[in-house]
Amino acid sequence: MLVLGIETSCDETSAALVVDGKEVLSNVIATQLDLLKKYGGVVPEIAARRHTELIGYVIKEAIDFAGKKLADIDAIAVTAKQGLIGCLLTGVAAAKSLSYALKIPIVGVHHIEGHIFASFLSNPDLPMPHICLTVSGGHTMLVYVRDYCQYELLGSTIDDAAGEAFDKIAKFLNLGFPGGPAIDRLAAKGNRNAFRFPRPLLYADTFDFSFSGLKTAIISHFKENVLKNEPLPIEDIAASFQEAVVDVLVAKTLRAASERGVNAISVTGGVSANRRLRQVFQEKCAGAKLMVFFPQLSFCTDNAAMVAAAGYARLRLGKADDINLNVLPNAPLEVSCAGQD
Amino acid sequence: MKVLGLDTSGYYNAIGVADGNRVLADFAFEAKADSLEKIVAHIDATLQKAGVRLEDIDGFGVGVGPGSWTGIRVGVTVGKMLAFSTGKPVCGVSALEAHAYQVRNSASLICPIIYAGTRGVVYAAFYRKKNDTVIREGDYFVGGLADLAKLIKEQVVIAGTEAEKYAGMLQEMFTLLGDGIKSEITSPNGACVALLAARRLSHGESDDVLSLAPLYLKESTARAFSNAYSGGKG
Repeated sequence: MLVLGIETSCDETSAALVVDGKEVLSNVIATQLDLLKKYGGVVPEIAARRHTELIGYVIKEAIDFAGKKLADIDAIAVTAKQGLIGCLLTGVAAAKSLSYALKIPIVGVHHIEGHIFASFLSNPDLPMPHICLTVSGGHTMLVYVRDYCQYELLGSTIDDAAGEAFDKIAKFLNLGFPGGPAIDRLAAKGNRNAFRFPRPLLYADTFDFSFSGLKTAIISHFKENVLKNEPLPIEDIAASFQEAVVDVLVAKTLRAASERGVNAISVTGGVSANRRLRQVFQEKCAGAKLMVFFPQLSFCTDNAAMVAAAGYARLRLGKADDINLNVLPNAPLEVSCAGQD
Repeated sequence: MKVLGLDTSGYYNAIGVADGNRVLADFAFEAKADSLEKIVAHIDATLQKAGVRLEDIDGFGVGVGPGSWTGIRVGVTVGKMLAFSTGKPVCGVSALEAHAYQVRNSASLICPIIYAGTRGVVYAAFYRKKNDTVIREGDYFVGGLADLAKLIKEQVVIAGTEAEKYAGMLQEMFTLLGDGIKSEITSPNGACVALLAARRLSHGESDDVLSLAPLYLKESTARAFSNAYSGGKG
């Protein structure tokens, strides 16, 4: 089954053709990096405008690159839940029009469900059940993945997302936007034990996360230096900050795995590209006899291939939507649907 | 030439089907939060009412605005993706032109107005009858009604849809311009966009399917601010 995936939930306009939820024939991603750099982040109205301009080109490129024709497509999967409403609208409007004109099924996917499936694209043998940590600029979510399309949200951030903390610290250190790759690069040259920054909620009896306090702690720690215009030890700050975030993410995810008795962990989302995060997960998981899986880098950030994979799984379970599909910007990841349908 | 017209820029979401200069079906529903949810189902129903199958449609007309930013994004995306998936041409039509076209038999200047979502601000333009259609004179206007009224030096027909906002704007224009104006309450633009697109398509004109974009007329606040800021520095 050839599925066209469409993703426009935030600032990436993406379309992909994926066979049977596994074989990625194309995965076209148009980023808005130029706009992000100009405005220091995502401006919803500007992002929505860009999606409407690009959507046709991106879909056509995905079909052409795969060497397919419109008539070859068997179904459409689109991110319809969780994201910026004005951005989601364009993807869903495009998906509905294609589904109607081509007379093929349409299925709406939750953005986080897409990230959960990003790992399957790179690791077809990722076992069920497992624990999935999704970390990006917009999300920090710990999910118990019981089976295909059966999820239980264990915890999420109560304030900033992990990726947002990277962006804000990068801004404080004048590293530009997005901050993740810049911090990753600088941290490799710094001493991660130079400063002992707080590990928020590390020992708390919850799977929720909090990163806004860490950001504040770092900024106030160096307030004097900034006031006196002294140069900051940016490499050590980057390394020590990154270590604090990584410690919390890894510890909570491993605790969730042990509590649920699973033997596999999957880490997805833009922050899962972070090299130190991958390294620590690999070390700790080896020690705990856990398997750990990451998507290949092109499936870490928002992309339509993961949406097509998630959509394929939903279609296999008979969960197709119809032509009245609408956007649900704040929809929670569906609670375990075992026994419900 | 059978054309499906679509306009989601205004108070109503409007869908029409025309065959040449003949309207086969015309339908409108109030634009609300569920506009996106229902739009494709209503397109299907309107085609059925017209007795035309989607595959028999020769081209598409889309209201590109100005109007509701979210609305035109949905309409433009649906219009261009229907054209893309059926391999048929698409024509973008200004919502203001579509309103003016509805009163094309007026001998005087025609000024369609569309509420711009901000208190007292409207989108407008001036049109004049030429042969059997209307031609725009000058640029599009975005601003307050008082400033718009200053531009009007002659007998004018104000045109707009039958929304509460329009009644209020019309009252204000009457106060500003006195007896110099007439008003015409125009219908939602579905059939009209189909007719205008059919005209253009029959002349071999169409827009590029992939690059067709909304006519916003206003920049987003962030961009306007950024431009003003860098302009000040430069």
